[in-house]
Amino acid sequence: MREGRVVVALGRRALSVQFRRAQLLMPTFVLPLVLLAVIASGTSAGQGLRGFPDVESFLAFVVPGTIVQGTLLAGLTAGIAMASDIEFGFFDRLLAAPVQRTSLVLGRLAGTLSLSVLQTAFFIVVAALFGARFPGGVAGVLGTIALATVNAVAMGGVSTAMAIRTGSLSLLQSVFPFMFVFLFTAPAFFPQELLTPVLQDVSVFNPLTYVVEGVRGMLGGDSSLGSPLAGFAAAFGMAAASVALSTFALSRRLRRL
Amino acid sequence: MSAAVEVQQLVREFKGGIRAVDGLDLEVRDGEIYGFLGPNGAGKTTVVRILTTLLRPTAGEARVAGHDVVRDGDAVRRAIGVALQEAAIDPLMTGRELLRMQGALHGLRNAEARDRATQLLERVGLTQAGDRRVGGYSGGMRRRLDLALALVHRPHVLFLDEPTTGLDPTSRAALWREVRALHEEGTTVFLTTQYLEEAEQLADRVGIIARGNLVAEGTPESLKERVGEPTVHIEMSDPDDGARACEALAGLGAVERPTERAPTRIGVRTAAGRAAIAPIVRALDEAGVAVEFVEVESPTLDDVFVAVTGSTLEGAGAA
Repeated sequence: MREGRVVVALGRRALSVQFRRAQLLMPTFVLPLVLLAVIASGTSAGQGLRGFPDVESFLAFVVPGTIVQGTLLAGLTAGIAMASDIEFGFFDRLLAAPVQRTSLVLGRLAGTLSLSVLQTAFFIVVAALFGARFPGGVAGVLGTIALATVNAVAMGGVSTAMAIRTGSLSLLQSVFPFMFVFLFTAPAFFPQELLTPVLQDVSVFNPLTYVVEGVRGMLGGDSSLGSPLAGFAAAFGMAAASVALSTFALSRRLRRL
Repeated sequence: MSAAVEVQQLVREFKGGIRAVDGLDLEVRDGEIYGFLGPNGAGKTTVVRILTTLLRPTAGEARVAGHDVVRDGDAVRRAIGVALQEAAIDPLMTGRELLRMQGALHGLRNAEARDRATQLLERVGLTQAGDRRVGGYSGGMRRRLDLALALVHRPHVLFLDEPTTGLDPTSRAALWREVRALHEEGTTVFLTTQYLEEAEQLADRVGIIARGNLVAEGTPESLKERVGEPTVHIEMSDPDDGARACEALAGLGAVERPTERAPTRIGVRTAAGRAAIAPIVRALDEAGVAVEFVEVESPTLDDVFVAVTGSTLEGAGAA
């Protein structure tokens, strides 16, 4: 109960600070939408290619890519914020408090989770306003939000582990481009069948493939677009591993003090 | 009187074999203000970080409020309040938000944390600024907020690491008042400082640290007494009275005769200090020596510092 209050307090702080810091707000809310606009308008002709799934709109097909991109960036900003706390000494304030060390990690990730709920809902609403239709209905949207938040926590766990391990804000900022490599080696904006053979092989081993396809399946209300179960399995697997990694990184850091 | 902080043979070695703390022993009594004085790089902050569980010692033992800092870190953290050297406060949060968050970290329920935040903002004079983001606070306001944050859970032992560094005199005086008030309420205060005046004004006892070790410890008065006796300086009206004055004062202490550069100035070194003024003036009056003024010069903590470390506080800091 006590630790629950700690996690909630830290999560609330993480979320409120996110909205007060432009350099964290831009990549999480604005950048994915800009990329969505570019992709949706610039590559929509791809829908006519043979092998492209039978979907109602190209926009609705690429929105899952935007949602997953959002979760990557939400996760990355968790690490950036953690590194900033370490570099500027705020983390010491937290370490000097009588709280379980895992609560410090979970509090940060609780903020990421809340951010992802808002972010995913925002992307879906904006896409709907621009004409995307989601046959999966309310259940599909709620399932998508759930899957996106688990994935955001997974990504947050990775970046938080890096932040705790290195304590370097600049290193976390330099990770930003690699997030895109991770995203574009999954069928985020194009069907897996239409990727080049090499990329197709890589995408099989990229857990984001299953997450993005799971979202696509839920929003499209069509499991042939992707398996929600596989998506949740991949996201939960990554989340469990990355949260364990970040708590391990914290305990190592504390041992090295 | 029991010990709030006990340190035995504490060592902290950093990479490259640098010993920031080198076999330190010290004891802080319950309810006292302990001034931990030393130049930059002397090891003050390292000691504070060990005592607040933010750093592990390489060797030795340290107990705070009866708990071992390594084996029972959580109990130590429950008993202490910490305001570190750099007031690490999130500039994007408001003072009230930070206090409420700190309350949650110390196990206060929502309503309790909200009430405590209001009380503390009032206590440190930040009620008006409480709902503003900390990024807009002045240095003094940040320090006061930092102090309030350290007090959220009414700690038994309060660690203040150079709380007034960089503050203007008004902010410094306000913080001193607050530290005195906490002392009156029974809080033990472990205060590190590089300001002699601060140690002298606030501390019941002072420990001087140099190169990672305690080189002197005691009340400010006892430390100064160790260095030497106070000197009563007399400024005479007439330089021709020098010999007569020296003769009259011979029984009252060690007389420092007038010099060519100061032919009207005589000094009397005596343990009596201020109490010697009356007999000195009486003796000079009886000898017919006219006096312009009298002043007492006592050794300062700076003199103590020079005596125990061989350098001034500023000089040692630069080294």
